[in-house]
Amino acid sequence: MSKFQAKVDRQGSKISVQLGGIIDEDADFTALAIKDAQEIVIDMDAIKSINSCGIREWIKWISEGDKSKVVYSKCPKVIVDQMNMVDGFLPSFAKVESFYVPYYNEDSGSEKNILFRYGVEYREGQVQPPPDVKDESGQVMEMDIIESKYFKFITSKV
Amino acid sequence: MTKKGPGEVLTFYIGLIRYEILSAVKTKSLSIRYKILLALTLIPALALFVYLTIALQVFRDDKVAYVFDTTSQISISIAGQLKTKLDNIIKLTQPILLDLSQSEDFSRLSRAFLQFDANLESMAVMAWNEKAGQYEVGPVLEKIPFTFEKFWLSWRQSWNPSFVQILMNQTVVTNPFLDSRFVIVQKIDRPDARPYLVILLFDLAEFSEQFQTLSAQNFYLVQRDGKILLGPKNELGSNLKDQISLSFLGLNKQVAGSGVEKVVDKSGTTKLASFAAVGWGDLFVVSTVLESKALSAISVLKRKSFLFFIILMAVTVILSLLASSTVTQALTQLHEATGKISDGQFDVQVQVQSQDEVGALAENFNRMAAEVSRLMQQTAEKARMENELQTARMVQETLFPAPRADLGPVEVVGYYEPASEVGGDWWSYTQTGNSVYFWIGDATGHGAGAALITSAAKSAAGLIEALGFSPAQALEALNKSIYDVSRGKVMMTFFLGKLDLNTMLMTYCNASHEAPFLFRRKEEPFKKKDIEFLNEVNNPRLGQSRDSKYSETTVQLGLGDLLFFYTDGVPDIRNRALDAWGEREFIKTLIGSVNSSPSPVEVMSAFTEHFQAYRQEASLADDLTFFIVKTKETIV
Repeated sequence: MSKFQAKVDRQGSKISVQLGGIIDEDADFTALAIKDAQEIVIDMDAIKSINSCGIREWIKWISEGDKSKVVYSKCPKVIVDQMNMVDGFLPSFAKVESFYVPYYNEDSGSEKNILFRYGVEYREGQVQPPPDVKDESGQVMEMDIIESKYFKFITSKV
Repeated sequence: MTKKGPGEVLTFYIGLIRYEILSAVKTKSLSIRYKILLALTLIPALALFVYLTIALQVFRDDKVAYVFDTTSQISISIAGQLKTKLDNIIKLTQPILLDLSQSEDFSRLSRAFLQFDANLESMAVMAWNEKAGQYEVGPVLEKIPFTFEKFWLSWRQSWNPSFVQILMNQTVVTNPFLDSRFVIVQKIDRPDARPYLVILLFDLAEFSEQFQTLSAQNFYLVQRDGKILLGPKNELGSNLKDQISLSFLGLNKQVAGSGVEKVVDKSGTTKLASFAAVGWGDLFVVSTVLESKALSAISVLKRKSFLFFIILMAVTVILSLLASSTVTQALTQLHEATGKISDGQFDVQVQVQSQDEVGALAENFNRMAAEVSRLMQQTAEKARMENELQTARMVQETLFPAPRADLGPVEVVGYYEPASEVGGDWWSYTQTGNSVYFWIGDATGHGAGAALITSAAKSAAGLIEALGFSPAQALEALNKSIYDVSRGKVMMTFFLGKLDLNTMLMTYCNASHEAPFLFRRKEEPFKKKDIEFLNEVNNPRLGQSRDSKYSETTVQLGLGDLLFFYTDGVPDIRNRALDAWGEREFIKTLIGSVNSSPSPVEVMSAFTEHFQAYRQEASLADDLTFFIVKTKETIV
């Protein structure tokens, strides 16, 4: 089990936060003060999981940045699921810069995460997945999600 | 206080030890105290015993050697004195014999010489008588007249045996009267005639007294054949061989001038004997001393050593008792304390002041006892809490509805399993008139705290249902209730649907809960893309903010539609390797189960069977709740 990890890089009024591990009741966000920042970029590439207590801590923490421009970057599926389900997890002042979409080939069992980037694979109300995602053996992979549910945070903003 | 002898002291300590050993046997075998005691007493006792045995043997050998050496020296000394005396007597007779050879009789000068010698009493010459064919007494020289005549009259009958020796040029010395008077018969050779035989009668009173003195040591002047010439009065004339068997007595072979022997007399008494040849005739000075007398110092030493041994052992036992008591006192306390612990008395502590290993052991024991006591209290507390949790579980089970229900146009089948005794999930359905409320919620975390919130939610839900609130109104009211209870520390996701059984229109409100799946009736098997999600509205979790507003929406259900409500514990089911089931397998299994049968009960059964097979009886990571609502195919 990987513990919660956080790394903060402050450059003037911009704060870059790298988060990783498990976000649960033991995750300590108190050291990640974001209240006075103008721009906050949160890199979530290394986040493994989040539970209901972690969600509570997250919403409490992210609500401090309500005066800032908050950017979610490289959101893994566990985060996207929470963005779709939990009101306040993706507050209105936050924007998703990129997120991962899991792909899967049932025949070979191969899995892959494809990073969807704002302005490329999606924009407000629209998702334009890459035409063909293939695994290393060249087999075509399909999205391992239910699109209507997974892209809800995009489509609902129309 | 009476003074006790060594024997009484020994008896006392033996009794004390016996009592203590019997006491020790009552407990286990031999206690450490007595093992220490035995070690501290037996080892020095054995060492002392061995030392005394060796020391006494060495002392005994040394003493015997000393006695032999001393008596031998005395014997040699007496033999030397006697030889000197006899030599002097013979020397004194030389001028007399010279004078006799010239005049065939003793002259006046010879008589004058005789008067000057204290020992010599008389002197006679025996010459060969051709006619008689034997030696006859010739000239006589004597201090007191007729002395020799008296002697000769009494002795002549018995001297013949010595005659042969005389003729063999051996000087004969004897004591014919068993007193201090001695006789020397000496052959004096002549060139053209048979030799003279000179008989000297002299008194050795000063030597006789020395031999007659009775003491632990006896001195004898004996001939080679063992005849005692001088010695204790009652033994004069007897044969020493009748008493002891000295190796040289009776032997004709050459023997050393002196020697020592350990002999045993006829009565079995051991004696230490020494002898020294006088150097005159076949005379020997023999000294005997009783071994028991000679070694009497050893007996004294033995008695004193034994007394010392007893005192030392008594002191050792006392000191050992004190030492072993000191050492074992702590162990005894520990023994008693462990007994109390084995009897279930855990609040026991041992008072040990020593700073050694035993003290460290006692400290460790006290820590262990305290820890055991604490753990026992914890165990009792845990048991009490488990009992309370069991009670809470029973109480919580009353919060859940029957897992199967037929509500007219709809059927309901549900499943609930908490991750621990009580859970934070809750589901329910309630028919109120022509409406049915479907509730499903999940409190933050799981366990007792979450269960308490679900209980509060259930209580509030009952009131809300009675008031006929819409889902949004209901969750808004419930949000306030939960917030007031938990103050933002515990939250709940919630989905509430209110189904109008007449129109089959379901109004729902979602408070950040997993969106239920809607499978609309179709003839073909369902695929993933066929699933609809009741996620058209989403709202903050209950308890997040007291002022949260909630919106609702509607969905029209048709005949044969199936709704699947669940909490996030379903995709989070883990197998024994702690691998999560995952959303892909969850949805795949659900679709397969829905396709397998139109009966919600059988769908539930198939779904449950699949996830249980994956789970392999592993513990749940989160509470597990889901239920199926299916509208009937036809309206009755």
